[in-house]
Amino acid sequence: MTDVRVTETDPFESAAPERDGRGPASAATGSFGTGDWLKWAWRQLTSMRIALVLLFLLALGSVPGSILPQQGTDPAGVQQYFSSHPALAPLLSRLGLFDVFGAPWFAAVYLLLFASLVGCVVPRTFRLAGSARTLPPQAPRNLARLPASAEYATALSPEQAAEVAARVLSGHGFRLRRSAPTGLAGSAAPTGPAGSGHWVSAEKGYLREVGNLLFHLALLGVLVAIALGGLFGYKADRLLVQGTSFSDTQTDLDEFYPGRLVTAADLPPFSITLNTFDASYITSGAQRGQPNSFDAQVSYTASPGGPTRTDRLEVNRPLSVDGAKVYLIGHGYAPEFKVTDARGQVVFDGAQPFISGTTGNFLSQGVLKVSGAEPDQLGFSGVFVPTAVDIDGTLESVFPAADNPVVSLIAYAGNLGMNSGPSQSVYQMDTAGMKQLTAAPQLLRAGQTLKLPDGQGTITFTGYQQWVSLAITHDPGQLPALICGMAALGGLLLSFVVRRRRVFVRATTSPQGTTVQVGGLARTDASGAFEDEFASLAAELRSAHQQAAQDQPAQDQAGHDQAGQDETAQPPGQAATVRHEGE
Amino acid sequence: MPVNLALGHVSNDFLIAALVIYSLSVVAFAGDFAFGRPRRAGTAGRVPQERATALATVGAVGGADSTTATGSPGVQAPVGVPAPAGDQDARGAGGGSGGTDSMPELAVPALRAIREAGPWVRAGVALSSVGVAAHIVAVVTRGLAVHRAPWGNMYEFVTALTCVAAIFFLFVMIRYRAWSLGVFVMGAVVVALGLAETLIYTAAGQLVPALQSYWLDIHVTAMTLATGIFFVAAVLGTVYLIVDRYARRVAAGRAEPGNGIIRRLPTTEQLDRLTYRTIVFGFPVWTFGVIAGAIWADQAWGRYWGWDPVETWAFITWVLYAAFLHARATAGWRGRRAHYIQLLGFTSLMFNILVVQVFITGLHSYAGVS
Repeated sequence: MTDVRVTETDPFESAAPERDGRGPASAATGSFGTGDWLKWAWRQLTSMRIALVLLFLLALGSVPGSILPQQGTDPAGVQQYFSSHPALAPLLSRLGLFDVFGAPWFAAVYLLLFASLVGCVVPRTFRLAGSARTLPPQAPRNLARLPASAEYATALSPEQAAEVAARVLSGHGFRLRRSAPTGLAGSAAPTGPAGSGHWVSAEKGYLREVGNLLFHLALLGVLVAIALGGLFGYKADRLLVQGTSFSDTQTDLDEFYPGRLVTAADLPPFSITLNTFDASYITSGAQRGQPNSFDAQVSYTASPGGPTRTDRLEVNRPLSVDGAKVYLIGHGYAPEFKVTDARGQVVFDGAQPFISGTTGNFLSQGVLKVSGAEPDQLGFSGVFVPTAVDIDGTLESVFPAADNPVVSLIAYAGNLGMNSGPSQSVYQMDTAGMKQLTAAPQLLRAGQTLKLPDGQGTITFTGYQQWVSLAITHDPGQLPALICGMAALGGLLLSFVVRRRRVFVRATTSPQGTTVQVGGLARTDASGAFEDEFASLAAELRSAHQQAAQDQPAQDQAGHDQAGQDETAQPPGQAATVRHEGE
Repeated sequence: MPVNLALGHVSNDFLIAALVIYSLSVVAFAGDFAFGRPRRAGTAGRVPQERATALATVGAVGGADSTTATGSPGVQAPVGVPAPAGDQDARGAGGGSGGTDSMPELAVPALRAIREAGPWVRAGVALSSVGVAAHIVAVVTRGLAVHRAPWGNMYEFVTALTCVAAIFFLFVMIRYRAWSLGVFVMGAVVVALGLAETLIYTAAGQLVPALQSYWLDIHVTAMTLATGIFFVAAVLGTVYLIVDRYARRVAAGRAEPGNGIIRRLPTTEQLDRLTYRTIVFGFPVWTFGVIAGAIWADQAWGRYWGWDPVETWAFITWVLYAAFLHARATAGWRGRRAHYIQLLGFTSLMFNILVVQVFITGLHSYAGVS
């Protein structure tokens, strides 16, 4: 509570209703109807105090969204949390804490905040439009009481002095208002309601409020842009093994998250083939094993039957196809297997993507489900080790590149359960209806074959492919969000850089001749140094007055009526901005 | 391109040198508190006569009191030159009155002001300048060694942001003659840099592909700048709270007025304004950094905002600093409460850097701290 000069009622907006949320004004009178309550609630909501509280709630509400796993970004983490905190998790889930940013209470906070913002910004926009049409106020009676002031004497008459001051101030881009001209130079000063003498009121810095409003309106725009993306955008994921293709249709995508007003029919019908994928790693030093570059060579057709183009897809370098963007967001290994069943028929021959865990160096896990094997279906759960090293009997991967690829497999036979129950993940296997065929994991190098016991068949580790995971997104709110973001930044800068300030000049006759008083004030939450500007303005006014006084005797000698000349000698551009009171 | 290890070593050496020199500057600034000449309103009297006259004509209508350090408009009082003790205590307790709207600048040129501030301040300013120079060399050589913007991991980020803080504070200190704040800000810089050097040192190295983008230069540079600026604001806010607490204790009769250390510090009003200006400078930079980050996220991950933990905390920080700016325009929230809010904002910023980026797994896990 030290900055007492920041007054609650802004001198620049005397008509502004107080934004500090006092209680209902008419409560004391006893007659307080529904309308009054609504009005009171709206006043509360649009008060700065409530806006502050809502800002805090917004910040506070975001915290669990970063500490708890979120459904949107980390669904596996949510599952894990459920299994490790079985008592707590359902409660947190009921509160929406696993999907904070989509939770109704979070939406309530930001919608209330934006309602508060609208309630504050819209009336202010009208007031700004109004103030652009009205003149600065009359000069106050006592300029010495203003935060910044100066006083000096001049040989000019009060009217001449006001004239010179008006010229100087309008030259600096101030909007002016002046005392009524008396018509007779050097005559007794008129006495108006605002005090005696000739005066000039000048105001500048309307852009500050413009910037402030622009900032807040642009934030509203950002919200609208986000909503636009949520309605009309979509996001999809696809894992693509080297040498294979996919087309952008719902059935061919792994995951499809459409916006509320998007259907599968809205997907652009492009198709993409992953020709090669190269990942290079740092091979020595402290950073050994850290990826150096990823490079996916793809060929794509924008529409079925269209021309095929090729392009490189890299991290930070998405591919634009047909209004959608395709991103390289992950990669991994897909070991290739050839499986024969008990009948000796080849029932599987291809690559099976494995997923790397958090252990690093792409030690990857996966399953191979051979539902076509007869008489029993076959299943394998395995680990792919790109650069295998035996450390005390445990296989570990010491480098992410596949320098010494090994798979370790456990074989199962029986019923995979794929024809009943919920659909299964291709990375998990339900072994409830299966018999484990090998007691210990069996190691295979490339080209090696494992013979399953009891003539159940064979599996050969024939090699590996790499896969990439692609994100396909379309967000029509993207560009509006960017534009609004930049507008918000621009508005913020304007409102911080520009100062709303007023300068008053009053010239009165005194025993010594004419006394010129200069006073100024700036909007109090301004950041800049108004004193500097005021001091230089005051100095400029003073020297302009001195100069005019020096010129005057010379012109008097030439027999001119200087005061009369001054009135008519104004440049036309200046006359437009200088308005006389009472005109 | 391979890392230039020799240059990396040069960078490390300069950083150690900067740390040592900064430490010495803190000693010098502390020495000013302990042994320096008492600087009070007297300094304003040392304003050369002709300048004072010139100022009085445009500035103070108050006439005679134009030579006292604070109060009347247009008088150019330095921050580091507090008003007489009684005056300040009274203002701290009852709120300032009739002061100027903005931070006044001194009429005396900067170099002369430094000369006149006494040997301890001279030493402190000289040492921190040399330290800043060494710090800049360290950051630049690190960048040359790794062929990219030298803020690609946590260690580099902290060294860069402390460099920004030191440069920014040096500017603020000289411009506003705020010598007495040197011990606090440079002290905080020494602590941050020392912790970076001992706890999270990371040798010069290459970046993962996700960071190989010119947006690193834009987004992280903005974030580094803003963090360095907010760092200074946080130290100023802390000093504000100390001075404010003392003033309230004096007002309540629980402390003796005229504490020697408090007397040397700027008034709450001056600190408040300086902090506000600092945050007004930092907030648009932070906003720009968040927007640049969103553009980069859109390039790299396919969405401009995804509530990744680091994004979430950047948002929380932004909201808290916005709350600070609004609090200053709300009755009952100005002053102390507003400063608590900005310190909360800085806490969330630090939490983001030190906890979220290191311990919470997300897309931003680039800290390189093991």
